[in-house]
Amino acid sequence: MSQQERTSKKIGSLKTGRWRPSANVVMTVAVLAVAAVIIGGAILFGGKHNSSASHSDSVDPAILRRPDSNTLNEKPRDEASNTTAVKKVTLVEFLDFQCPACAAYYDNVTRKLEQDYSDRVTFVTRNFPLDVHPLAMLAARSAEAAALQGKYPQMYHALYNNYRSWALNSGAGNVSSDQQRASKLFDSYAQQIGLNLERFHRDMSSTQVQQRIERDRADGKTAGVASTPTLFVDGTKFDPSGNSFADVNRELRKVLDKELAK
Amino acid sequence: MSMLAAADVHPPIQRGLGWLYLLSGLIGLAAAAALTLEKIEKLRDPSYVPTCSLNPVISCGSVMDSSQAAAFGFPNPLIGIAAFSVLITVGVVLLSGYAAPRWFWVGMQLGATFGVVFVHWLIHASLYQIGALCPYCMAVWIVTILIFWYTTLHNTRFISLGGGRVVALLTRFHTVIPTLWCVVIAVLVLQAFWSYWSTLI
Repeated sequence: MSQQERTSKKIGSLKTGRWRPSANVVMTVAVLAVAAVIIGGAILFGGKHNSSASHSDSVDPAILRRPDSNTLNEKPRDEASNTTAVKKVTLVEFLDFQCPACAAYYDNVTRKLEQDYSDRVTFVTRNFPLDVHPLAMLAARSAEAAALQGKYPQMYHALYNNYRSWALNSGAGNVSSDQQRASKLFDSYAQQIGLNLERFHRDMSSTQVQQRIERDRADGKTAGVASTPTLFVDGTKFDPSGNSFADVNRELRKVLDKELAK
Repeated sequence: MSMLAAADVHPPIQRGLGWLYLLSGLIGLAAAAALTLEKIEKLRDPSYVPTCSLNPVISCGSVMDSSQAAAFGFPNPLIGIAAFSVLITVGVVLLSGYAAPRWFWVGMQLGATFGVVFVHWLIHASLYQIGALCPYCMAVWIVTILIFWYTTLHNTRFISLGGGRVVALLTRFHTVIPTLWCVVIAVLVLQAFWSYWSTLI
């Protein structure tokens, strides 16, 4: 059978004289080529906005910090006036309240940094809740709801200081998805920092808060943020090379000192 | 065209199908076995990071931990180990020259159809619900599509609905459809994870 096959094939190729790709091969290659051109074009065109932002070292400060973005160490929005002394350097952090790396950053780097540099550096935080963290959005909403009562920094600290009790499962230590437990704890933080609880609840589910979070997230994407925490010092992305938090802490202080000395 | 309209068995086509079953069965079996081993490792040590978890998007870990990864109450790769082993056997049997009866091909068609539907449900889950890709799973996606396509094309010879011309055309351009199929999935993958890919450029 196979011999027959071979002879018939031979005859076929003898007839045509030389080998030519079949119509099937031509069509298949054409499909691949068209797909490659379209996908390549989409990458070049669609990627342009993002790649220019993520590639270049600095990002437009207006995107990193909106006039009403939350800060940890400036007067609340409604009280802020032009008389506030302008700090020299701005540190912007895109964070997710439930992200373990963000909590570790807070514990090992930014909490102390905030105390040491509060007179010279403006600490801006932006929301970048990730879908993989089931309570990140709820936490962001409660922080923004606190901001509407002028208590953003207090809520920010309450959320990170109590990270273990609301963000993690008590036993396994992995990321929790217990909305009920988290809501209850957030209420208790709200009471501790002196929020009007009724208004807090109303604001948490308001579209205003939702829109603020979405805008933060959109700005983060424009700025090339892909993971949390991502920090920018005066518009330049902070890319630590160290392996330990002690290294990262040293590097960040060095970058801030250099920027302050300018 | 007249050659294809005839309902006789075409040895070259059957040989081709034998090789396809054998090779894609081997690829599928290797992928399913690798996933099973990773799953066992992960069960033994919950903090174990699978070798195919490379970054936030290419991450077998998140795919393996999803509820969709055990669609029937047990890990999906176990289905793969059984089904791809059968496929390898069928491939070898076809290569030995066995001319299977019609009911045999009906069985192959049912299996291949179940496989391709299941795989597309998993693709949907991977892209839009889990939000992560697993390279072993993607190898299975591709071989399952090929198996389904060529099994179906082969079996159309049992059906004479007057679609002889269409079948002849599809047979003549037999690699175009699966290529297009994979291109569409590649585009969906790119689109679903666009924000991630674009940060890599």
